[in-house]
Amino acid sequence: MGAVFRVLLYLYPQRHRELLGSEMQAVFEQGAQEHRLLGPSQYLRFVLLEVCGLVLHAAIAQFANATRRGYLENHVRSTLAPAQDIPHEVIEAQNRLAVNINQLSFAISHHQFVQARFYKNEERKAREHLRQMQEKYGFRDPQPLP
Amino acid sequence: MRHVATRPAIEHPKALTEPVVLILMSLAAQPRHGYALIKDIEALSRHRVRLSTGTLYGALRRLLDEGWIERFEQEDTSRDKQAYRLTSEGRRQLEFELDRFRELSRAGFARLRLGEA
Repeated sequence: MGAVFRVLLYLYPQRHRELLGSEMQAVFEQGAQEHRLLGPSQYLRFVLLEVCGLVLHAAIAQFANATRRGYLENHVRSTLAPAQDIPHEVIEAQNRLAVNINQLSFAISHHQFVQARFYKNEERKAREHLRQMQEKYGFRDPQPLP
Repeated sequence: MRHVATRPAIEHPKALTEPVVLILMSLAAQPRHGYALIKDIEALSRHRVRLSTGTLYGALRRLLDEGWIERFEQEDTSRDKQAYRLTSEGRRQLEFELDRFRELSRAGFARLRLGEA
């Protein structure tokens, strides 16, 4: 069944598969092992639910990949694949700032000015934190952000 | 004059889905890897919810993209067992969502009492 699952993973966008495919395979195999011990009907039910879930979520991932809806990775360096020469703390600080900017834009575009003020403060703190992290790791030129 | 510090409300473009809330709740206590998340969510929901691998990783991917959780490598495990933990942003979002649930249930009970009276 593991082989079938591996083949079904090809329904996902390549990036998703590369990042999470081996983990998904391992989780499926652990579940399959557990359900095999519970009897054939439980195992069959497990396999059916897994296959349906996989096909459905692969379709959702493909749609999101095509439209980029809900994905920040067009705008920020993703937490999933940090470049090897950038320390984790800097990546985390960059992501935090990007999330704050995103929330600030959302609040402004929806005329939620109380929230916008809050996110502006948060953004200032996040910028300062990023600057400290860049100094700590000797990045003289800040990484460009959206 | 007395100043009362209030936590500003977070407006979501849409409400969080049940799997997302359960994942955040599960990670609030401690970092976990994929299979441990499935088992913990099953226990947390009193065996009502068992996430499939596709559902779990769809939600994890979204949470990673939002910066609400992060992946980290556990020293003694392989890539297959990379663990996930809440970021400070994720913790804040969970707190707001739970506050929203509390308000909602308070309103629901008030309506029930109104109907009984």
